[in-house]
Amino acid sequence: MAEEKDNKLSSYLERLKQQAATQQHYGGDITPEEAKMDMRDCPACGAGRAFEKGLTSCAYCGFVFMDIKLTDGVNIKKENNS
Amino acid sequence: MFGFFNKKYDNPALLEEMKTRQERWFAFLDKLEARMQELTTAAIPGLREIFDQDADPYKRAHSNMLQGLLGQINHMRQKANDIKDEQIIDFVYQAEAMVPAVTSTVGRDYHNRIMNFRMACLNRHYIFDEKLNKCIQRLQLAAGERDLERAYQEQLRAFESIRDKFSCRQCGGNITIEKMFFIDTYVTCPFCHSQNTFSPSTGARMILHDARALAEQRTAHLRRAYEKSDPREPELEKVYLRAMIDEWNKIIPDMAEENEKFYQRLLREQYFHHFK
Repeated sequence: MAEEKDNKLSSYLERLKQQAATQQHYGGDITPEEAKMDMRDCPACGAGRAFEKGLTSCAYCGFVFMDIKLTDGVNIKKENNS
Repeated sequence: MFGFFNKKYDNPALLEEMKTRQERWFAFLDKLEARMQELTTAAIPGLREIFDQDADPYKRAHSNMLQGLLGQINHMRQKANDIKDEQIIDFVYQAEAMVPAVTSTVGRDYHNRIMNFRMACLNRHYIFDEKLNKCIQRLQLAAGERDLERAYQEQLRAFESIRDKFSCRQCGGNITIEKMFFIDTYVTCPFCHSQNTFSPSTGARMILHDARALAEQRTAHLRRAYEKSDPREPELEKVYLRAMIDEWNKIIPDMAEENEKFYQRLLREQYFHHFK
């Protein structure tokens, strides 16, 4: 009797473990990524984004990268508006 | 005058009922406790195993299993609460309504007995609840602590090795990243002044996520000192919180201002925890 109960418990735990391991994560799995450098060229004229002229629009042809107005954050400041 | 109050009241059936109810309640909780302990003890090695095997940076497989087990334990708590309401509390109210008024001698005797029955049952339930909380704690602490310090040092070394290796996507000039970033950041090319976007690796992003836990691990001796003090000493907690926030700022210097606000809030909350 006690053995049967033990079996039931261990099989329950085994099932729980299986389920926990195979259950799909909310938001998907994390794939480890390396650090990388990327850049967004102006799709209209191909120029790089110039730091002095701000981040929101292209300094050469005026293409608008972002419609929003930047506010002060940790790494981006108000001055980065074009 | 009419001898109403001196009329002998005797209800052996009620006494018998109380006795059997109490015995049944005790036996029920004994059984539930045994099952709870059995489940906890059997589950701990599995929890540890799944924690070690879990490759997910947030350890979500472990968290799934832990939540499943806590659900089981909480189900037992719910069951005990339901039975207590049905079999003990309801019965006590019924019995109190049935026996003579508490102002009469015989009534007082019966009310005392009912009170004793009630206290015995509720005390037993309290003990059960304490044991249940212990089980929950054992399950939560089963996996042990992650070695966050090692992961952090690894990431620092990894960053040192890659910080000079990037080049501007526009002109190809070398870019040296001045400090460690934990989120995507604009980096300006020193040659053509184009904005490049630097994306840190997953490991570096996790530092931001684990920074507080790491700071807590580093200052664990201060927390233990505070938790050992009896009654708990608010000054010791303050020392611990200050040290923890300082460590946190050392790991993520960008968030120092926000962490300081958080520290001030924790201090304000202290007044509630240590209200005298």
